Amino acid sequence: MLEINHLDVTYGYAKVLHDISLEIETGQMAFLIGRNGAGKTTLLKTIIGLLKPRKGSITYQGHEISGLSPEDHYLRGLRYVAQEKKVFGNLTVRENIEIAAYASQEPVERAVDKVMSIYPKLKDFLETKAGQLSGGQRQILLVGRALVGEPKLLLIDEPTQGLAAVVIEDIVKILTGLKGTVSAVIVEQNLSMVNRLADRIHILKEGKVAREIMDKSEILDTRGLEEYL
Amino acid sequence: MIYTIVYGFSIGAILYFISIGLSLTFGTMRVINFAHTLTYTIGVYALVSLVAFLNGYFVFAATLAVIVVIPISYVIERFIIRRLYGESLDYTFIATFAVTLIGVDVIKWIWGVNPYPTSDPIGKYLMFWGLSLPIYRILIVMIAILLFLALNIFFKRTIVGKIVVAALEDKDGVRCLGINVDKYFSIVFVLGSALAALGGVLYAPISSVHPYMGLSILLLGFAVVIVGGMGNLKGTFLSAFALGIVMAVTARYWSQGAETMVFIVMAVVLIFRPIDI
Amino acid sequence: MPIRNAPVKDYGVISSLLIAGGYLLLTPILSTHRVTDFMIFCIFAMSFDLLYGYMGRLSFGHLLFLGTGAYGSGLFIKYINGNPLLAILVGIAVAGLLGMLLGLIVVRTTGACFALINLAFNHIGFFLVLSPLRKITRGEDGFGVSVSKLGFLNFGSRPIMFGFVLVCLLVVFYLLKRLTSSPYGIMIRSIKEDETRVRFLGYNTYLYKWLTFVLAGSIAGLAGALTALNYHYVNPNAMDVNSNVGVVFACLIGGAGNLYGALIGGVTYMIISNFLPLYIHRWEMFLGISLLIITFRFRKGVWGYIQSSLEYFIKRKSFFRPA
Repeated sequence: MLEINHLDVTYGYAKVLHDISLEIETGQMAFLIGRNGAGKTTLLKTIIGLLKPRKGSITYQGHEISGLSPEDHYLRGLRYVAQEKKVFGNLTVRENIEIAAYASQEPVERAVDKVMSIYPKLKDFLETKAGQLSGGQRQILLVGRALVGEPKLLLIDEPTQGLAAVVIEDIVKILTGLKGTVSAVIVEQNLSMVNRLADRIHILKEGKVAREIMDKSEILDTRGLEEYL
Repeated sequence: MIYTIVYGFSIGAILYFISIGLSLTFGTMRVINFAHTLTYTIGVYALVSLVAFLNGYFVFAATLAVIVVIPISYVIERFIIRRLYGESLDYTFIATFAVTLIGVDVIKWIWGVNPYPTSDPIGKYLMFWGLSLPIYRILIVMIAILLFLALNIFFKRTIVGKIVVAALEDKDGVRCLGINVDKYFSIVFVLGSALAALGGVLYAPISSVHPYMGLSILLLGFAVVIVGGMGNLKGTFLSAFALGIVMAVTARYWSQGAETMVFIVMAVVLIFRPIDI
Repeated sequence: MPIRNAPVKDYGVISSLLIAGGYLLLTPILSTHRVTDFMIFCIFAMSFDLLYGYMGRLSFGHLLFLGTGAYGSGLFIKYINGNPLLAILVGIAVAGLLGMLLGLIVVRTTGACFALINLAFNHIGFFLVLSPLRKITRGEDGFGVSVSKLGFLNFGSRPIMFGFVLVCLLVVFYLLKRLTSSPYGIMIRSIKEDETRVRFLGYNTYLYKWLTFVLAGSIAGLAGALTALNYHYVNPNAMDVNSNVGVVFACLIGGAGNLYGALIGGVTYMIISNFLPLYIHRWEMFLGISLLIITFRFRKGVWGYIQSSLEYFIKRKSFFRPA
């Protein structure tokens, strides 16, 4: 579904990604792990079009998409959830979803129902300003926003970072529910989550792909993965 | 005293019309548009010519003048402002100042350097508590208040307004939701420029009309935006009127010091709340 | 890498001669008086470049200091003492003092804030000399400055004035050249690059910014004092806010962050603003269009292009040299 070939990405003067090549299959949930600074966020940002690669190509469902803008990517079904957990704080939760529904022209009520179905607890907060939500609620709202319309490939950057264990459980539950219906590339440091959800693991080290793990038993080997963090 | 307040409010109203565009352009595009009041000036000159052409139908001429400004501001946005996204502020400053230079010279070319005489189109006064207050000025204030309410509705109720509010906070987030934000920023820019032209058109009859009128009021516009906060709609409204009063009160006791007082206020605000750009 | 005084190479003397020669060459084409004018503007441009090119702060009100220097020295001569050298020193001192005062507030800001607050102060200054201080400054009309002789230095004589200004220019140039290649200069340029990092290294960037502001203001004050002496006249135009665009243009076209660039830009702007209006009626439009072209295409300015072309040629030459 998503093919990345020999990607080089620079950030200012520094080369962050060197000759990255990897593949994501449809319906799979792939995880990107690696140390801070390894280039995981940069890779996601390049896929969604916030950064432009120096060299290399990104092919999605057979089409070359590298260099396109995030707006174009959205229409093809790619969705990005950034690391910073930024919501539209001055707008209510409902309005956040309203904006998410705008480009895909989905009726707002249907979009709101969809988001409420994955996380009913948010219903009480529909008219609250999104800026007043807790970190965990914001993260879930962001995932909810990404699911509006017809998402095909989710790109999520560190969803559980800085969240309480209870909330992390909620998120794992939500993602488990999505497995099979949407493909995803998720950056994570939380290895237990990786164990439970990953179909594949790509390990990034200093801007290069260090390893790819597709074997189920290896995925469950937390100790072995730890050394890469 | 009441006269001073009315006078101050009417100045504040004009300042408000001008500062909205400035504030929005900065809030959305992070570009300081030094050429903002060019549309103000063009609007006024268009008005002057149109009034002469249409034999004095002020309202009609005023509306046309504002409409004329729209394509001009679109061209400025498309070819200059858009290229300045993300640029360092000195370059946006210089480039937009250059646009002003060109624009003012074109105005001088077409209309000449000499100031145009103008007069109050209504010319009637309202008898209020034994004072005669010019209706025209009161009308301007009413229009400003209406505009404020209209903008509030626009930004809080319409989807386009909400998109702009969202983009003000998280532009990339909006882009990643498939919305071409730049298109909406253009709309905001043109809207701001049209409002500046409206301000000019409304103010022209009670002020002087000359090619450099844009520059002097631009600085005041900056002061309003700095005092009120960039991209802050309510703040801009309040600070515009506050500074209008400051000008009126200063003018009463020290006739030429009005503008200087505004700058002193701006400097004081900057000292205690320096903006991080 | 140890930071020490970069050795001032011997070409300091050569460059001074070259500069002096350049200006002298212009004199038969234009007049001595005109070239003196140019040189004064170049001094002002260098002071502006210190702030803008080296420290990265654009001020849209730098003319305030030139005006202050002009009024300071002019008023000194008018009311206190006709000694021109003293007047110049007074002009510099007054401008410097103003820089010290305003600097305390102003250097805390950056970017557009910095540009605008300087603009505001310039505006206030212009207004002050125009109106409230009218009794002393003669408001819009300005006042004449009579210059007495000082030994053999008759400032009334044009060649003497030319020579004096040239010497001032060379002194300022040399001073700034030394300064900008010293550790202080490296500090200023680092602040332009990334101030936060410099602060994290433990340096008091506020102090350095303040010093630079005061220095830039003082040199501008020198230019102002020289203006008063050169024209024998001071009026509010010395502080006109709109004229700031000239020096910005000069530094851009010459190449910001480079003293030679400031000189080239200064002369270029002077030629353009003095002679272009005679041939092209719409010269301000021309100025605006060229500013646009420069900001979108030729960021580095004339000197920048000369420099990079030189580097290119040097690289090509060294390719043939054995490693």
